[in-house]
Amino acid sequence: MTTLNLGDIFSYQLIHATLRSSAPIVMAVVAAIISKHANVFNLAIEGIMLFAALISITVSAATGSWVLALLAAVAAGMLISLLIGLAHLKLSANILILGFSINAIAQGGTRLMMQEFFGTVGSYAPKEMAPFPRLNIAALDGHPVLSSIFSGYSLMEILSFVCILLLWVVLYKTKTGLRLRSVGLNETAARTAGVNTYRVKLGAIVVSGIFAAMAGAHLSMGYTNMFAEGMTSGRGFMANAAMNFGGGNPLNALLGCLVFGLSESLGARLQSYGFPNQFVLMMPYIVTVVILTFSMAGQQRTQRKEKLRELKKHREDLSGAPR
Amino acid sequence: MPKLPKVRGESLGTILSVVLAFAVGGLMILLMGYDPVEAYVELFKGAFVGKFSIGTTLEKFSPILLTGIGYAVCVQTKYFNLGMEGCLYMGAVAAAGIGLIPGLPAVVHIPLGLLGGILAGTVWGAIPGALRVKYNVNEACSTIMFNYTATLLTSFMVFNVWREVTAVSRTPIIEKSAQFTKILKPSRASTAIFLLVFVVAVMVWLVYKTNFGFKLRATGHNMFFSNYVGFDAKKTVFLTVCISGAIGGLAGAMETMGVFYCVWDNFSMGTAFDGMLASLIAKNDIRKLPFTAFVLAALRAGAQGLERVTNVPKALVTTLVPMIIILISVDGIRDLLGSLFQKKAPQEAQEGVQG
Amino acid sequence: MIAMEDRTADRPEDTVVRMVGINKSFPYVQAVTNGFFELRKGEIHSLIGENGAGKSTLMKILYGLYQPDSGEIFIRGEKMDKYTTGRAIRQGVGMVHQEFMLVNELTVAENIILGSETTKALGFLDLAKARTMIRKYIDTYHLDVQPEKIVNNIAVGEMQRVEIIKALYRGAEILILDEPTAVLTPQETQNLFRVLRSMREDGKTIVFISHKLGEVMEISDRITVMRGGKYMTTVNKADTSPAQLSRLMVGRDVMLDTRRVPAKPGEKVLEVKDLFVLGRRALSTIKRISFDVRAGEILGIAGVEGNGQSELAEAIAGLLEVQEGSIQIDGTEVSNQSPRAVRDAGLAHVPEDRNQRGLCKEFTVYENLSAVRTDDRTLTKWYWRDEKKIARYGDGVIAKYDIRPAEGKALAGSFSGGNAQKIVVAREVEMNKKLLVVAQPTRGVDVGAIESIRGILNDVKSSGHAVLLISADLDEILALSDRICVLREGRISGEFDGNNVDIEKLGMLMTGGDEGAKAAESAG
Repeated sequence: MTTLNLGDIFSYQLIHATLRSSAPIVMAVVAAIISKHANVFNLAIEGIMLFAALISITVSAATGSWVLALLAAVAAGMLISLLIGLAHLKLSANILILGFSINAIAQGGTRLMMQEFFGTVGSYAPKEMAPFPRLNIAALDGHPVLSSIFSGYSLMEILSFVCILLLWVVLYKTKTGLRLRSVGLNETAARTAGVNTYRVKLGAIVVSGIFAAMAGAHLSMGYTNMFAEGMTSGRGFMANAAMNFGGGNPLNALLGCLVFGLSESLGARLQSYGFPNQFVLMMPYIVTVVILTFSMAGQQRTQRKEKLRELKKHREDLSGAPR
Repeated sequence: MPKLPKVRGESLGTILSVVLAFAVGGLMILLMGYDPVEAYVELFKGAFVGKFSIGTTLEKFSPILLTGIGYAVCVQTKYFNLGMEGCLYMGAVAAAGIGLIPGLPAVVHIPLGLLGGILAGTVWGAIPGALRVKYNVNEACSTIMFNYTATLLTSFMVFNVWREVTAVSRTPIIEKSAQFTKILKPSRASTAIFLLVFVVAVMVWLVYKTNFGFKLRATGHNMFFSNYVGFDAKKTVFLTVCISGAIGGLAGAMETMGVFYCVWDNFSMGTAFDGMLASLIAKNDIRKLPFTAFVLAALRAGAQGLERVTNVPKALVTTLVPMIIILISVDGIRDLLGSLFQKKAPQEAQEGVQG
Repeated sequence: MIAMEDRTADRPEDTVVRMVGINKSFPYVQAVTNGFFELRKGEIHSLIGENGAGKSTLMKILYGLYQPDSGEIFIRGEKMDKYTTGRAIRQGVGMVHQEFMLVNELTVAENIILGSETTKALGFLDLAKARTMIRKYIDTYHLDVQPEKIVNNIAVGEMQRVEIIKALYRGAEILILDEPTAVLTPQETQNLFRVLRSMREDGKTIVFISHKLGEVMEISDRITVMRGGKYMTTVNKADTSPAQLSRLMVGRDVMLDTRRVPAKPGEKVLEVKDLFVLGRRALSTIKRISFDVRAGEILGIAGVEGNGQSELAEAIAGLLEVQEGSIQIDGTEVSNQSPRAVRDAGLAHVPEDRNQRGLCKEFTVYENLSAVRTDDRTLTKWYWRDEKKIARYGDGVIAKYDIRPAEGKALAGSFSGGNAQKIVVAREVEMNKKLLVVAQPTRGVDVGAIESIRGILNDVKSSGHAVLLISADLDEILALSDRICVLREGRISGEFDGNNVDIEKLGMLMTGGDEGAKAAESAG
């Protein structure tokens, strides 16, 4: 094991690597947040991502167009989540069973499709596929640092960060966001106020599916240029974790995703120093738990402080109040 | 008015759901270009016909049932323990390590191995449990993180620590003294199966006949009530999580000491999730779990047989099984089908109001 | 037998709502029988009756929440078919329920516009426009609210005003208020009345559901009385008196039998000193109170709900954190101990919410009854739960307390009010603890069960235990208590001797009548 050169590990290229690693989770977290605000625990994000990854690369290889590939993936995501939504809302299906089953169907189904349609096992990397375009800012080509940080990103990577910021705006500043949040916070109150809670929930599930699909498409057409079995590696669950970390607030969740991305990139670098790769791969998962714990503990501490503050106020009132 | 007796339409609906599920499955097989009748026949044979088949079914039955029980018992306290897979792995690794100790008589070695597995599983389950009890960390997330970590840790042990270089990377075969004897050869089932009876009996007794079980169920039904009546909800949840981790660890140890005699990378292909599915279908009732777990195990064993004998790919079956599960377990479908032949059950009473 | 008649039927042309022949039943109860209601434009019309008289149900029918089994509804002369809440709102009917339908995490403004949002382009919320509109209501009707505040942080009175604005915002011309003053302080009640009067001046019509005669006499133009689900009569306020109304409501001149068992007070069992408990709201925070209860007596804590009653009971039971002060049962300090420890120290507790706390609906009666004795060796053998012993114990208790139906294996959730409460009371009393704390013991309970529960409390007292009775039902306090204290806004005032109560003074303390003049001046 060669000696650790912190300078090499924490170089400016880490920023680019972190953003690249975070992007798929950011897109998935948008899906998770939308779902969470409708009070639906969308476990199927993982499965939808996997399906979308395979479908988009397939369509891309068949047509040579990433646009069609994206559309196909989104359509698939919408269809699957529509089924989930109807099953859950109309047929009272248990959302956990639905979520896990969809994930399992995705695992098996993608493997099946690869076997039956492409005759491959394990991974599928058609040369004819057209990946998402990479956006280079020509003006920055001269500066190594700036161009590393700001240039050379795949379309979806940029889009995912844009989407999460947009999500924040929609959630807190628009009518749709208000209704969505009200349904998740107090469904009865929302219903009596005239909000069609069924439609809102179904809509949230379907839109969540769209973003999950986009995240999946990015995996096979931006993050890498192939499809590998199980390539989502729990990113859907990490998205849920980041969403919990944020308490439903997109900005906090974004932070969580960046932490994931950072730990993944750092891990990759550490690997070149001879760290066993299993521990490197473990880092994002462990980091998630640590962050979750700290954020919950922090919430508890704030609640304590609130109580103490209220107590003080009452004591002050009392000392001046008449009996 | 005491509660109304269960409506008969529910059973009818369940049966019809199963029929529908298999019909849909058959249709899909047909669409993929295979013969559904042949497929189902081989599926059945692969699960039940011949010593190898029955043995495989039993072999798969064990971990599915145990992890299912682990999940069921936690979910009854509203703790969604998705981490049984991790406990399974840690238990297996612990047993694999203990199994390598030379010079111990079987009478000592076997219990030691099982104990090691139980301890490992308990610890692995207790950590997210403690985080949840103390800091209210969402266990649905943390346990999944622990699963991935456990799988990676196992992989590390297999490749870097106890490696035995063979065609498939695995840990060395454990000592004979730590092995359970095989039954129903050439399947991988072993005498470890008999432990299942004991575990199920103990768990059913624990949950339904003891004070602890009473507190467990009370905490799950109504936290406010449990608190008010004097039960320590946090302690109850934590103990339950530990017990469930122990069972998961035991399942892992049994896999190592009874089925594989070693641990190899990713040896469990989502077994714990099958366990969880079995539990969900059984509505988390431990008494019904053996049935659902058995059916799931049979499906898996049958799938293996199917792949061996026909050219229906296993992936098709692994895709179909969850589909079948959805169709069977969705209450709405069951109710819909049940009501087709049944007079509608009495209208649910509107909430009475003081007015 | 008073004939059913509307004694004010002299101005039919102003009629804006007319309900005739309304029948509504639920599984265990016929809520409304041949209900009648007639509302005139621009009046404040009170609908009064005891708990269970049918007033809430009748108005929920008017709001389209329930469909009547039979009967007709006319709004402005037009017969209403297929009457839903949506239709009601379109007809200009608005309702403010007893339980607020607000999303606590959102702001006042967001709650008001939810469902009919004011928007700019692209669906962006136009909160400025909302604020302007809300200002209009604030100015016209004295409905003081702070649009930017989060609902979780505002007082109950303001929450109610938000609900009123919500209704007005949707075009309500007829506003139904269901027991609006149940959770208000007297000061807030006066503010509400000011709002209602200004609304009346503006031509709005108001239905005021209540059972508090003092307020009804203060605010109403006309009064309709219901009893046992039936329409009794309608009178002009000027033509009636609280005594007459009370007789109409209750049907008898005689007050509930106050044959109180004389007390033989012994040692102090419960000692509360300088207790400080943070409550759900600033109003219900317990602010340094002290009192004690002796063996063999009943101390009644009177007061309108929401003044700290829940917090007090829960703090004693170890279910709520105590910030300061001490609670001692028989000399043992129990503040901030686990509920289990408090029970071991000598507490039995009948909680005010029998559905959430008192019972576990998914468990059988046997299981509910034996729950507090779970670790008691008498019902278990090693670690086995002895089902036979539990059943025998349960049967004994069911018989002793006359719980109906006498089916121990039935699920607790299937029992109605009176019997459900009896299960809770039975369980706690059978523990034979030195201190029994009961909160709102006869809320939502039928008359027969009320009598028997009160009898049980007297028996507990006679056998030498201490009883702390917390109740918003003044009749109950007067009937049972040996000593009476009043809890208002988290503070305890006055100690009355149960045998010799100055009811007027008690009433003033409860309603803050002594502060009435001061309160009416300061803002909401």
